[in-house]
Amino acid sequence: MSELARNAGIALAIARKDALAELRGKHATTSTLFFAAIVLLLFGFALGPDSRKLTEAAPGLLWLAIVFAGLLAVGRLHLVETDDGALEQLALYPVDRRAIYAGKALSGLAAMLVLGGVLLPVVAILYGIDLAAAWLPLIVTLLLGAIGFAAVGTFYAGVTVRMRAREVMLPLLMLPVIAPLLLAAVKATTAALGGDPFGELTSWLQLLAGYDIVMLIAGAATYGFLLEE
Amino acid sequence: MPQTTIYVAPRSPGSPDNPLSAVTTLELARLFGRSAALAGVSLRIEPGKTIALVGPNGAGKTTLLRILATAIRPSFGSAQVDGLDVAKDPERVRTRVAYLSHATGLYDDLTALENLRFAATMLDVPAAEIETRIGTALADVGLAAVAEARVVTFSAGMRKRLALGRLLLSPHSLLLLDEPHAALDEAGMALVDELLGRWREVGITVLVASHAVERLAPLVDGSVRLDGGLLAEISGTGVSHNPGRAHIGAPSMAGFDS
Repeated sequence: MSELARNAGIALAIARKDALAELRGKHATTSTLFFAAIVLLLFGFALGPDSRKLTEAAPGLLWLAIVFAGLLAVGRLHLVETDDGALEQLALYPVDRRAIYAGKALSGLAAMLVLGGVLLPVVAILYGIDLAAAWLPLIVTLLLGAIGFAAVGTFYAGVTVRMRAREVMLPLLMLPVIAPLLLAAVKATTAALGGDPFGELTSWLQLLAGYDIVMLIAGAATYGFLLEE
Repeated sequence: MPQTTIYVAPRSPGSPDNPLSAVTTLELARLFGRSAALAGVSLRIEPGKTIALVGPNGAGKTTLLRILATAIRPSFGSAQVDGLDVAKDPERVRTRVAYLSHATGLYDDLTALENLRFAATMLDVPAAEIETRIGTALADVGLAAVAEARVVTFSAGMRKRLALGRLLLSPHSLLLLDEPHAALDEAGMALVDELLGRWREVGITVLVASHAVERLAPLVDGSVRLDGGLLAEISGTGVSHNPGRAHIGAPSMAGFDS
């Protein structure tokens, strides 16, 4: 078996294991989704009943809700490794560290896509947005944003998993790094929903794709050090 | 227990004049802060021997095992497994070593079967053999009846049995066992004894840290006693003090708390 195929098998096994653990702890998934939906609802209350204002703010609020809930999701994906020495055992398997990173990032990506897939229609309902006209660019934006978030989130969840104050440290370390992703994702979503009158959608998507590539390479190259004690 | 198949990793034999030791440490030390958990241990373990690692709490037994398992790096000195340096070549060391620690490394929300399937994939067990090996391992450790049960429902003893089952999935040349009898009932302890016998029979090197000295005595070739992070005593066969000297200029341990 080639090294690439072996690494892909390892990454898929890790992602499958995380998915099984996540699905069996249904309360955690449901809580995260409810948390994100409540955040969106509260943003709506804060902005008032002005539908024009809500529509304008919708892309930013959507991505803020995805980011807040995503922080919970990626943190939890590493928390499963704190079960009875599981992280140390994972580190001691004779496998390429990049494959472990890819597996955890894949789990993060799946969680982010589920979050985005649920929150997009919630935003449409709460803020009166028509998704049908812009579904394709919205899906591309969501996918690229989710990849970048998972790439960064996996790295920082690895950094903080052994810390006592990990719930505080994860957002503290991660939010500044994902600021460019948040900006590009909000701009791309705004452009997609507005029909892209200034032709800027492609540029923002390119920025997101570039961010994803850089973060994935950096994460894969450095994640192995986080497994060392 | 049925006579399970024990998989043995091929060893690097070295040369006829200078066969490689299974484990070689030289002035091995590990600091945690300013406290030395291991303060300069030099020993050699011959291939295929079962060696007991004994000593009081805090003697450095677990630290030594964790360094050899590549879980932590040495602060000073060196350690080799089959001639491979644990600090410089940890990836290759991991292909030969298995470590049973106090923690079982199992996932609570997965079943026993799923935990072993995951481990088998990580250990590169050929896909066609995974189910057979898992079935045999679960039967050997007495957990076949609860294969589909989630580990969160297991007692500490059952978890330890499942962790032992993981050791049976793939070939190793060195097994590092930290208190393998702990948390087990009499039947479980007998299972550990039987596995130790089988590993010894097929020539896998085993380093087993334990307080159950009397229980281990008939199962091991030799023993190493650590005390305060230092090598206090070596007895029996298969293990010896390593007389090699650290390189000139290597950092000295003098001045550190032991």
